[in-house]
Amino acid sequence: MIRFGLRLAVAGGREALTRLVVIAAAVAIGSGLLLTTLAGVNAVDAQLTRYASIYPQTSTAGAADPLWWSTRDDFFHGRQILRIDVAATGSTAPTPVGIPTTPGPGEFYVSPALRELLAAHPADQLSDRYPGRDLGTVGPAGLTSPDTLLAIIGGTPDSVGKLPNARQVSDIGDKPALPETTMNLILGVIAGGLLFPVLIFIGTATRLSAARREQRFAAMRLVGATPRQISIVAAVEATTAAVAGTAVGFGLFYAFRDPLAGIPFTGMPFFPSDMSLGPLDALLVAFGVPAGAAVAAQVSLRRVRISPLGVTRRVTPRAPGAYRLIPMVLGVAVLFFAIGFRPATSDGQAAVFLPGLLLIMAGLVFAGPWLTMVGARVMARYANRPATLIAARRLADNPKAGFRAISGIMLALFVTSVAVGVITTIVDNRGPAPIGSTDAGTVTTVFDETMPSVPDPLVAELRAISGVRSATAIRENPNIMDGGEVGVIACVDLPSAYGRCADGANVIEVPFGLSRWRESASPATVWPAASFTLDELQRLPVGAMVVGTDGSAAAVERVRTVLEVAFPTFWVGPNVPGDFESDFADTLRGWEQLANVIIVASLALGGCSLAVSVIGGLTERRRPFSLLRLSGAPVRVLRRVVALESAVPMLAVAAVAIGMGLLAAHLFLRAQMDYTLVAPQPRFYAIVVVGLAACLGVIASTLPLLERITGPETARSE
Amino acid sequence: MSIVIEARDVEFSFGQTPALRGASVAVEAGEILAVMGPSGSGKSTLLHCLAGILVPDSGEILFDGARVHAMAETARSSLRRDRFGFVFQFGQLVPELTAVENVALPLLLSGVHRTQALAKARAWFARLGLDGLEQRRSGELSGGQAQRVALARGLVAEPQVLFADEPTGALDSLTGEQVMDLLVGAAREQGTTVILVTHEPRIAAYADREVMVRDGRVNAPDRIAS
Repeated sequence: MIRFGLRLAVAGGREALTRLVVIAAAVAIGSGLLLTTLAGVNAVDAQLTRYASIYPQTSTAGAADPLWWSTRDDFFHGRQILRIDVAATGSTAPTPVGIPTTPGPGEFYVSPALRELLAAHPADQLSDRYPGRDLGTVGPAGLTSPDTLLAIIGGTPDSVGKLPNARQVSDIGDKPALPETTMNLILGVIAGGLLFPVLIFIGTATRLSAARREQRFAAMRLVGATPRQISIVAAVEATTAAVAGTAVGFGLFYAFRDPLAGIPFTGMPFFPSDMSLGPLDALLVAFGVPAGAAVAAQVSLRRVRISPLGVTRRVTPRAPGAYRLIPMVLGVAVLFFAIGFRPATSDGQAAVFLPGLLLIMAGLVFAGPWLTMVGARVMARYANRPATLIAARRLADNPKAGFRAISGIMLALFVTSVAVGVITTIVDNRGPAPIGSTDAGTVTTVFDETMPSVPDPLVAELRAISGVRSATAIRENPNIMDGGEVGVIACVDLPSAYGRCADGANVIEVPFGLSRWRESASPATVWPAASFTLDELQRLPVGAMVVGTDGSAAAVERVRTVLEVAFPTFWVGPNVPGDFESDFADTLRGWEQLANVIIVASLALGGCSLAVSVIGGLTERRRPFSLLRLSGAPVRVLRRVVALESAVPMLAVAAVAIGMGLLAAHLFLRAQMDYTLVAPQPRFYAIVVVGLAACLGVIASTLPLLERITGPETARSE
Repeated sequence: MSIVIEARDVEFSFGQTPALRGASVAVEAGEILAVMGPSGSGKSTLLHCLAGILVPDSGEILFDGARVHAMAETARSSLRRDRFGFVFQFGQLVPELTAVENVALPLLLSGVHRTQALAKARAWFARLGLDGLEQRRSGELSGGQAQRVALARGLVAEPQVLFADEPTGALDSLTGEQVMDLLVGAAREQGTTVILVTHEPRIAAYADREVMVRDGRVNAPDRIAS
């Protein structure tokens, strides 16, 4: 029977061969995307793992001499530079990944991206920060991404050991420091957003031309084939196409892997080698897709009973009940509950939010057929045009089938709407300082070790830099425990751009950055008097240095370089408020970009699934449709049927998913951060529109088929 | 009586295979004409040419004096939708629509408001003995019932000409005769011209006149009913 099934599939005439090729092509695209998704997940995993390995844990066990290691953050033009200071304590100390030897004192390695920056900018803006001998370039194994700005700088054990965050490391491996749950959550979002639509697409593709196949099976039943034999033939046919398609899918993946790796899906491009497949991934796809196709063929046969007299299925399937709304409503209720009752620990919060979000996700898919049915019934009740009526009746008739092709879109749009809603709100609340503001030009360095005073020549050097307006040393406030600000300065030293002193004050309390957390610097700020005399003030240690500039990149970077050279033991490099925020916002925007990729990809995939189900629906109804055309129904009526059957549920689902996603994001933000959801930027909607347009484009590509298969010759030949 | 539709020296080939070789036939208003002939003789092709579905390679098709063969596809579609009705052998009902919606479909396609279209369609159910089946789907109807629904659909827009291509071909003889009784009765009541393609003499007997198609040519009238 298997041989017979194979013969039917590959030598069953032109139509059978065409069907085989079309299904194989669809499976090839689907499995190519599936492989890309899996490789993308691996790439994100590799990226996160290498990022985590830049911050190794202390490990002194083992026979090797430990390596002193200190990772610090520096900035250039708002981009993060990772500065790793290392010092070997003996000959068996491990070597950092990505470089051939551990640099000694006065030696350093830089990443290719940092090397480009060093070459492109004056030394007093950047390369003066790395005095010594340039040993070479850090290799990919030591970099998160080809764009990573990284310097590995050698020192003595004594000097590095005193740096902030210094630790001894005797084993440098790929042990991620990120919590596993965080990783799983991130990867789960990617997988949930993309894998589901891909699997739906592959499943739908294997059911292409189901109606024609069923007619053939009915003919076989008529001549005595048993249901079991039919099952085998169906499975063999589906599997043959899926095997061929999967093989081509592997080819497509490897052909497009390198260009895909260069796209900054997470805000940073991947190394092509990161987009790799593990043996399990490859085996899963190589065997899973054909096996899945065989199962899908069986399921599709179970849905229709194939009797010797033909397919018996044009009876109205049982309508889905309103009980399908329960999980979704429960999920929303859980998130509402979280606003009033927020667990104190992050684990406790995760225990509330995750089930809530998962319930909504599962609930959307579960409720989808019911929502489709209700929408279609309303549409049918008020339809005045034949196309609307036919489309609405078909959707109301079998809402599960109508929803199946778009369930992936719903899930992807929900996940991405939550992500974009949360990210937009956080970025909006904690975004970088506006360009041209006082904050944007204020460079602050907080000393790791306090000092009695700032040398006058240094102050003079800073003030001599073009664009510098003020240089203020801020002393530590010993009365910080009384609830005051962390710093104190003489009233005469306060630059007017940062406020004024309280009436009668000689010494005032100020924060280290001369503006409060999440507040902008303002001349109107009145700083309270401190309980010190000017003499007492001079005896307090200096804790920070604030340099006001005109905000030009050259001035900021020159100041930063001077400060770093003067105070090399900083933990976090001298920074403007926008550095932290823009770095944080860049990270979030990276994830937002990934969300955007998921939106477009899932919508395009949803379009492919819809196109496949449109083709299936057309093939199923080719005779009544062609006879309708013979009777004078314009082809545009049939086109409208196809468009309405696919586009209406897709657009409705998109609206529901985005609405639910933003609601969930709002509830999450209220409960977790006391933020109110900020509407996503027009870019988000533009991307959704582009994705929907791509989806509609794919559906539109099936319309020529409609004209072809409903032409007069169809009615004649059947 | 005046001639309502006519084919003059029509030739039509499917690729290299000639189907009609100078076929001519004229049908009078209100007449029921049976087009008979063996399989492959070209009778369905003739019907399709008369209905403006196929455009002849040569020759003329005239309907109410209009040159159908020279019309654009849009105009022919409009003609088929508004002036002609069709009943085919099987499979013409849109599966997802109810029986009454299927009957109302030609009216909806012509822009009649849904309420009026459905009301007019319902009236045909009692007329054709289909009471109570209005909300059934095509899969829930017997062959005879489905064909009566198709007949109602063909006549609901009160076409000038009804083209029936083997309308009883998929039915048993008794059911076929019931359908033909209804078809002929309704057509006469409305004054609709019927062009009936069949290879069964028993069905052709319902017609006022028979023509025989052989090798792509129409033979002279065999019989004019009184």
